[in-house]
Amino acid sequence: MRAVTIFKAVTKNWMRSRSGLFFSIMFPVLLLLVFGAIFSGTGGSSRSTLFVQNLDVSASDGKPSDFSKAFIDALNSTETFDIRDVPIEANASTHARNALGPLGGNIRILIISKGFHDDLLAGTLKVRIGIIYGTYQYFEPLMNETQKIAMQQGLAQLQQLNQSLPDTKTSLTVIVDPSDQSAAVIKNIIASIANAFNYELIGAENVIQFQEESVTATRFSNVDYYIPGLTAAFIMTNGIIALTSNTTEFKRRGIIKRLSITPLTKMDWIVGNVLSQTLLNLMLTAIMIAVGWLIFNVRVIPDALSIILIFLGSIMFSGIGMTLSGLIKDVEAASAIGNAIAFPMMFLSGTYFPLEFMPSYLQSISRVLPLTYFSEGLRFAMIYKYPEGVYINMAVVAVLAVVFLVIGSLLTRWKEK
Amino acid sequence: MSKVVVEVDSLVKQYDKLLAVDGISFEVYEGEVFAFLGPNGAGKTTTVEILECIKPLTGGTARVFGYDVTRKNDVKEIKRRIGVLPQEFSALDKLTVKENIELIGDMYEKHLDVTKVINLLDLEDKTKERFENLSGGLKQRVGVAAALVSDPQLVFLDEPTTGLDPKARREVWTVIENLKKLGKTVFLTTHYMEEAQVLADRIAIINKGKIAAIGSPEELISEHGGLKVVIIRKGEEQLASVLQKRYGQTTMNSHGDILVKVDDVNELWRVMATLTDMKTGRDVDIQTPTIEDVFLKVVGGRITEEGELKG
Repeated sequence: MRAVTIFKAVTKNWMRSRSGLFFSIMFPVLLLLVFGAIFSGTGGSSRSTLFVQNLDVSASDGKPSDFSKAFIDALNSTETFDIRDVPIEANASTHARNALGPLGGNIRILIISKGFHDDLLAGTLKVRIGIIYGTYQYFEPLMNETQKIAMQQGLAQLQQLNQSLPDTKTSLTVIVDPSDQSAAVIKNIIASIANAFNYELIGAENVIQFQEESVTATRFSNVDYYIPGLTAAFIMTNGIIALTSNTTEFKRRGIIKRLSITPLTKMDWIVGNVLSQTLLNLMLTAIMIAVGWLIFNVRVIPDALSIILIFLGSIMFSGIGMTLSGLIKDVEAASAIGNAIAFPMMFLSGTYFPLEFMPSYLQSISRVLPLTYFSEGLRFAMIYKYPEGVYINMAVVAVLAVVFLVIGSLLTRWKEK
Repeated sequence: MSKVVVEVDSLVKQYDKLLAVDGISFEVYEGEVFAFLGPNGAGKTTTVEILECIKPLTGGTARVFGYDVTRKNDVKEIKRRIGVLPQEFSALDKLTVKENIELIGDMYEKHLDVTKVINLLDLEDKTKERFENLSGGLKQRVGVAAALVSDPQLVFLDEPTTGLDPKARREVWTVIENLKKLGKTVFLTTHYMEEAQVLADRIAIINKGKIAAIGSPEELISEHGGLKVVIIRKGEEQLASVLQKRYGQTTMNSHGDILVKVDDVNELWRVMATLTDMKTGRDVDIQTPTIEDVFLKVVGGRITEEGELKG
């Protein structure tokens, strides 16, 4: 019962603290809104600016050649680019920099060379002639003599035409800023359009078709995938930063000493704080999902396994918080050390970026971080609905919860030296 | 003879190389206000915290209500029976006065009606006020209320007025006087001489971990305070000479005042009669020794406002 009294008092004290509420609930929600706005595609998707200088124009009337116009139309049809024309006589880079203005932005320029149309036409004819040659060679053993003679006469005429065609040149130039993180994606899109253009001209078809399916039964949005990671990360910060700072502050101000003089036991105090953290974390999860549902139409729903995992995670991070506050006397140091542990863990545990994106040594580090198992477990429980994956991570979290709770209890002094 | 509530014998507390409490012995009796008077670092709080069972002792014995502070089962009994106002009391900032007192009360199997305790400490107007918004004096009163809510038989008040302004200090004194009227045994620690003299039935002067003197204020003054002094303001040398001849122990200070030390009340009256007969017409003051004089005598220094030993 005393643990429940402590739970009520500590929770009430926290609920009335504006800064506590902000960092425990509002800040995670704000971060969710930012991530959601970036990755959900709501609010109108922004297009990437692409400066296009088309040098393949008619000398007489300045009209673009058929193929260069068709290529620009194809770029436009992707709805990826905000295409801005660069005059023929301008230096493309200077023009783009001036056009972007003082606030800058990434410079991406596509230059369509003079002769693009002719090169493309010649190149296409050469490829088609090559195909006829290849077809003849493939079927030659099956032909009779009359057929062979007729084919060879036709091929000789094609050979003459082929020799009369000019060699094709590089027709497209892409200029990007090396620091532009979207540059690779933009180059791939332009290359894909060029390939599609080539296929169309030579009359080839894609024989391999892609069909995309989700690994989950429910079709989740990008924001759904962020909710377990963000929730896990902030359950971690609530334990490691907020609980450590609060407990150190209670200790500094003699509040823990005052309570220790009463019949309250150390275990009552710890249980009361863990219960308070669990409630806080369940509230955080519920609010994150509610905000996600209201604004981004997310479909993620925590099940019983998720709630058990959140409970175990709350114990684990409360245990770490108590361990730290047992070791640290100074409130400022507690906050600084809590941040120094929590923030790297947040980024190295795959909560924001998939672990595969990291170098192998960072992946090795992430495997010893408690948050990795907690966020993985939550993702398996809330998104993939894969119980086996949840159980393995839950087992690791449960073991760490016991270990840290024991260490935290041992380091929480109920009697002074 | 009153019942012994606290019994300390040859108590020692050692921190590495520092001997904080050096073999002290004393008793506290039921219903009295017992004051530990000494400078910072004298061993007051250490002794009290050993008795409150939150600090282990190094040597000797300490019993509260006959229970040994070192035995686990006895500690539970002691904690049920004591109320504590720790040094620099603090509580949960965002909780109200009532909620903070209830929090401490709920730690006990039984506790007094919180509203009654609030009324007792004149905190009715502040019931719904958050702790963070209270003045220093009000915070101390909340601390005393928290110490009383379990209806303890023995109340430890560790430096209850340190850092308070004179008005707030007087308010706390009134609270302590009321505790005595309620029949509570009060164990007070302080570095304020006047506080100990006004409030305590018995005082133990402690310095460097040892008790230098113990007894009622009157006993201490009588034993260590020295003589009463009759001061004749701006007296003449001729008058001083007469008083020296008749009573001895007469001096003049740099302000021209005559100081006559008197052995007892009878001699005091005789000096006064002489002055009346001689129609001196001078202002006369009688200086009575205080606990400060006692402290100066037994410790050899004074305590500053901040609690440091000087001189």
